Amino acid sequence: MNNKPNIIEIRNLKKSYDKGKIKALNGIDLEIKKGDFVSIMGPSGSGKSTLLNMIGALDRGDEGAIKVAGMDLMRTKNLSNFRSQEIGFVFQMHNLIPNLTVLENVEIPMYETNASSKEMHERALELLKSVDLGDKIGQNPTKLSGGERQRVAIARALVNHPSIILADEPTGALDSKTGDIILNLLKELHQKEHVTLVMVTHEPYVAEMADRIINVLDGKIKSE
Amino acid sequence: MSYFTLILKNPFRNKTRSSLAIVGIAIGITVIVALGMVTGGLKTSTQSTLKAGGAEITVIQAGSGSFGFGSGSSSINDSYVTDIQKLSGVKDTVGILRVISNAPSGSNSSFSGGGFSITGINSSKLSLAGVDSVNGTIFTNGSANEIIMGKTAAQDLNKTVGDTVNLYGKDFTVTGIFETGSFIQDAGAFMSLDTLQNLTNNNNRVSNILVKINDNANITDVSNTIQDTYPELNTTTAAAQAGRINQGLSFIDTATWAISLLAIIIGGVGVINTMIMSVYERTREIGVLKAVGWKDRRILGMILGESIVLTLIAAVVGTVVGIVGVEAILSFSPSVGGVITPSFAPDIFLRAFGVAFLVGIIGGLYPAYRASRLAPTEALRYE
Ligand SMILES: Nc1ncnc2c1ncn2[C@@H]1O[C@H](COP(=O)(O)OP(=O)(O)O)[C@@H](O)[C@H]1O
Ligand SMILES: [Mg+2]
Repeated sequence: MNNKPNIIEIRNLKKSYDKGKIKALNGIDLEIKKGDFVSIMGPSGSGKSTLLNMIGALDRGDEGAIKVAGMDLMRTKNLSNFRSQEIGFVFQMHNLIPNLTVLENVEIPMYETNASSKEMHERALELLKSVDLGDKIGQNPTKLSGGERQRVAIARALVNHPSIILADEPTGALDSKTGDIILNLLKELHQKEHVTLVMVTHEPYVAEMADRIINVLDGKIKSE
Repeated sequence: MSYFTLILKNPFRNKTRSSLAIVGIAIGITVIVALGMVTGGLKTSTQSTLKAGGAEITVIQAGSGSFGFGSGSSSINDSYVTDIQKLSGVKDTVGILRVISNAPSGSNSSFSGGGFSITGINSSKLSLAGVDSVNGTIFTNGSANEIIMGKTAAQDLNKTVGDTVNLYGKDFTVTGIFETGSFIQDAGAFMSLDTLQNLTNNNNRVSNILVKINDNANITDVSNTIQDTYPELNTTTAAAQAGRINQGLSFIDTATWAISLLAIIIGGVGVINTMIMSVYERTREIGVLKAVGWKDRRILGMILGESIVLTLIAAVVGTVVGIVGVEAILSFSPSVGGVITPSFAPDIFLRAFGVAFLVGIIGGLYPAYRASRLAPTEALRYE
């Protein structure tokens, strides 16, 4: 164990859906250190995405405590500000906006910042170059391959200098060769940008790349 | 790319659906613009009828009812013309005989059925009838073969100065063409009073007497004096006549507002439908926007903005179609074209754009609110 500070602290976090019928999270206790690469594994429906959504403040827990990047997410009112400043999401589906260019898609998160159009353009371009898409900035995402789209999504996640990247099965829709490229890119960016990376995955060998592997089952942490 | 550019771009994602919504609203806007231009034009024309010429009072025979344009039946002995001239407050008088003749041969089809209004008058007193300037020369009193024509009539009959028209079996030379701005006047013609009296067997009879009052006299007072002195006569004033026309126009005005309201409702429903569909299809995308930190207000603004973009495009389309449509109808139909000079008053276009803007807000508000309130986790799970 190292002595880095915790960036994520979760105590007995519970979340249920359908008026309590579905207990998606059933008492999660978890601490993640700043700058770590943590992998979350578990069967489908075990609550991995829900856990990620809680960390990313897309939804509030019912019970327990969750503190991320110094914010008490059970209490903080303005969750959109928190998401804008601290979190970068990468989903299984790239979720790019089809009528915008690659560059414009990467600019989207910067609308809530004070960045000027020029700054937005420069930052997006810089990131697209770093994911090796500097030559595709004017293209429509529909014309890109699955791997390229996911690289755009990664650039979009990083554009506001988040402290945490939350990746929910980022390679789930890709073939294994393309998936490997994406994984290596994520790992590389995690190291270069000193960003905390929490990634949900099904592949054990993918999980092996992480500093820690967390297993989730029935809304609880089963083992490390 | 700015937020504003994004809002401008988004409505073009589903071109078919957006176009349909635009057409729906544009139809309403076209009607508003076209009616506005036409009623506005008629109002101006009525005003120039009011201002035209000098005669403030028209004397008609008592019991002849309304201000009968050339009914021919209302006939006054022309000795009254000099009698009324002597009354206090009266500056000048002229007797006119108004008849509706069959349209001269060779006239435009649009004239048929309507007939052709001919007024007999003393040529030196044409200004009392509103004819101040004539292109060419006026007819000579007593001349049996000279006539002047209104601009619309000349256009319709395809006549210019020097041409001849056949009326009552006689050829008349068009010596001049006049324009008063009054659509009623400009569709007719004037000739020497005694000539018309002879042709129509109305010797010593006139249909109306036009009365111009002294500068310091009061219209009502002079009207009353005439009616009191000659109970067998009746008077009507230009103001009263204009009032009747204005009544009709204000009815069209009300109708225009009613149509505007209908356009708001129909257009609004169309926009709500279009925007709800658009939000529904973009559920996941809206989830992503929330995930990357967009505030609810920004999402609300985007959808509302897109809705307003749609309706403002419709306003532009509707306005252009309205203007082109009115101009086209007027130019293809000279008789109507002569009656109406379409108005381009700014308030017509302000109204059109105001209505469109309102429809955009009303139609966009609910879908925008729904989009802004989507739960991000639900939106991202949406297939
Ligand atoms: N928004 C929601 N509404 C209802 N049920 C949900 C919702 N989100 C997740 N669930 C349910 O919660 C459980 C955990 O889901 P999830 O966290 O997506 O699992 P995982 O990502 O591990 O597959 C599942 O039973 C799922 O159906
Ligand atoms: Mg999941």
